[in-house]
Amino acid sequence: MDILIEILIYGSIHSITLALMALGFALVYGTSRVPNFAHGALYIICGFIAWSFLKKWGVNYYLSIVLSIMVIGLIGALIYQFILIRVRGMAISEIIASYAIGLAILEGLRWGGFKGMTYTLPTFIQGTIFIAGVPVDLHRIVVLICGAALVGFLWVFTHFTRIGLALRGMAQDERAALMLGIDSDRMAVVAMAFGSMLAGLAAALLLPLGNIVVETGYNVLILAIAVCIVGGLGSWMGAVLAALLIGFAQILTEVYLGTHFKSVIALLAIIVTLILRPSGLFGRQKELEERV
Amino acid sequence: MKIINSRVLLILLVAVLLILPGKLALAEEPITIGAPLSTAFLYGWDAERGITLAVEEINAAGGVKVAGTKRPFKVEVIDTRDLEPGVPVSEALLAVEKLILEKKADFIMGGPVRSEAGLAAMDLLSKYKKISILTTGVLTPAYHARVAENYDKYKYLFRITGEAKWIAIGEQIPALLKIGEKFGLNRLYIMIQDVAHARAFGNIFAKVMAQKGWTVIGEPEIYPTGSTDFSMGLLKARREKAQVIIICMDMPESSILLKQWYDMKVPALPFGSIIAAAEQPGFWKASEGKGEYALANVVNAGNAPSNASDWTMKFYDAYAKRWGVEPEGYGTSSSYMAVYVLKEAIEKAGTLDSDAVVTALEKTDMMGVYGRIKFDPKSHQVVPSLDPNEGAVGTIFQWQAGKRVVVFPDSIAMGEIKLPPWMK
Repeated sequence: MDILIEILIYGSIHSITLALMALGFALVYGTSRVPNFAHGALYIICGFIAWSFLKKWGVNYYLSIVLSIMVIGLIGALIYQFILIRVRGMAISEIIASYAIGLAILEGLRWGGFKGMTYTLPTFIQGTIFIAGVPVDLHRIVVLICGAALVGFLWVFTHFTRIGLALRGMAQDERAALMLGIDSDRMAVVAMAFGSMLAGLAAALLLPLGNIVVETGYNVLILAIAVCIVGGLGSWMGAVLAALLIGFAQILTEVYLGTHFKSVIALLAIIVTLILRPSGLFGRQKELEERV
Repeated sequence: MKIINSRVLLILLVAVLLILPGKLALAEEPITIGAPLSTAFLYGWDAERGITLAVEEINAAGGVKVAGTKRPFKVEVIDTRDLEPGVPVSEALLAVEKLILEKKADFIMGGPVRSEAGLAAMDLLSKYKKISILTTGVLTPAYHARVAENYDKYKYLFRITGEAKWIAIGEQIPALLKIGEKFGLNRLYIMIQDVAHARAFGNIFAKVMAQKGWTVIGEPEIYPTGSTDFSMGLLKARREKAQVIIICMDMPESSILLKQWYDMKVPALPFGSIIAAAEQPGFWKASEGKGEYALANVVNAGNAPSNASDWTMKFYDAYAKRWGVEPEGYGTSSSYMAVYVLKEAIEKAGTLDSDAVVTALEKTDMMGVYGRIKFDPKSHQVVPSLDPNEGAVGTIFQWQAGKRVVVFPDSIAMGEIKLPPWMK
């Protein structure tokens, strides 16, 4: 019984963690069709920016986080406006360009001296609570609540705001959206900025649990892609459901098969999905409305 | 005016004549040390800094005397990236070959750092008859075992830092038994990274501690490099009433493990057989003090403050002054010492010829930063000991109130091991 409660609690936390990592990637692809392979780099650079605001310039912690998320949104918009827009519609070029940008950011950080294990952000809240006898630190509870709230916010945003509706319109049929007066390039910039901010938000929530290291950028990208492929590329709701599936599968694997099989699960999920259901478990091929 | 000018010229001439011999020494062709290191990681940059510091000191003192001339050392570093997840071993081999062929390295020092890469580089180094002194990483016992098995082929390869078997059996298991005896602990849980040296450590601990009468809980939990969540493993440790957790991980994410351990208040003492994140002096601040009570092994004395020899704190302070930070990881003092050992061997040999320097290195007997430095003549492994007067001595420290306090071996201990309050 104890183990089941542990699996339930930490499976939920792990799933929300995966969802947070993947949502930005899913949103950008779902609306602009740009596979943002710089997603992991944007995640980690947001951590370093927040660290710089906090430790170098002495800015208040929460203000540092808000500022770093805004900066990362701006960086995302600039990446689209000045680079990705030129290769838009050419899938391979988009992948190469965005991956190159990510690589340049990550290796640039390393070259700039951002290496080592001492770059950290403080947790929002200290302390531990016991849920049915299982210890959980309060910051992970914050992650759980914020992750769930973000999913709710995204639903409201894409259904009840003008920008959200425009993004959905783009995702469903870009030409029809253009005829209705939606500027697709402008909305793609918005999507990229918004997706980057989601990557930044995930970083602000998750990085205080460990340290800020360049390698995390690569890991986040791999996990985000795994979640999005399983969920159905471009479907953010699919990404949330896939995160739950992979998250719990990883925790169950860890408990019953062994910790060293845990990382195999995400990659195995990609292979199985591509073989059995190429459009993703929760994505419905050719039903475009599912992509937002 | 002419008289003044003549005097000035005379003074300048005398000054030049006085300075010239030293300058000429440095004008001689440098002896190139090629350092293949994973420079983005602690065990890479700490080694680079250790080597650089020793080279600067030696060059400032005139250089290395080779057949009547004084020659300076020069360091060429290439990033092997071998500690990064997913980087193939071939990258490290390319780095080693580039150092030999392009940078014309006379000697190889430092890495490759990952055991797998170090083992793979052995054939390459022996093919070029290039002397290599391993100073960081590559803890696998297979390395010196191979040298002993095939001496003629691998005689150019030396390791001046500790290896997993001695570290586990000679240092850490006695330290564990001491902890067990002192606090009445005997239930062990093992969490390791999925790399060769860590698996070797895990298996040794599981086997030997069971023989010593401890209860080893399950099989070692093996985590892929880059794992970011250790909650289920720690919950298992808690559920199974573990009292000591052996951790063997050199990935940065090991800090998450210690933070989770602290947050969950797991009533088991974390003993870092290798735990990269806890080695750095900056760890305390970075973990908001959550690393308190964690034990960490930094392999050689001099990487944490102690008085192992007269040279230990001199090195420690010189390093802190040069780099603005105390010695950080386990490759620091050994990398520094390797340069001095090589200098002595070259001077004894009077040549850079590999075979002559090998013979001289085999005769090394020097009181260094971490005790007496000498190599086993068959395996070329530095001879370890718990007594700095007998051999190379290791260091296990515990984080106590923001400081790295050396607690083992007893011969160099600066304090006593403490338990966290939630274990009392």
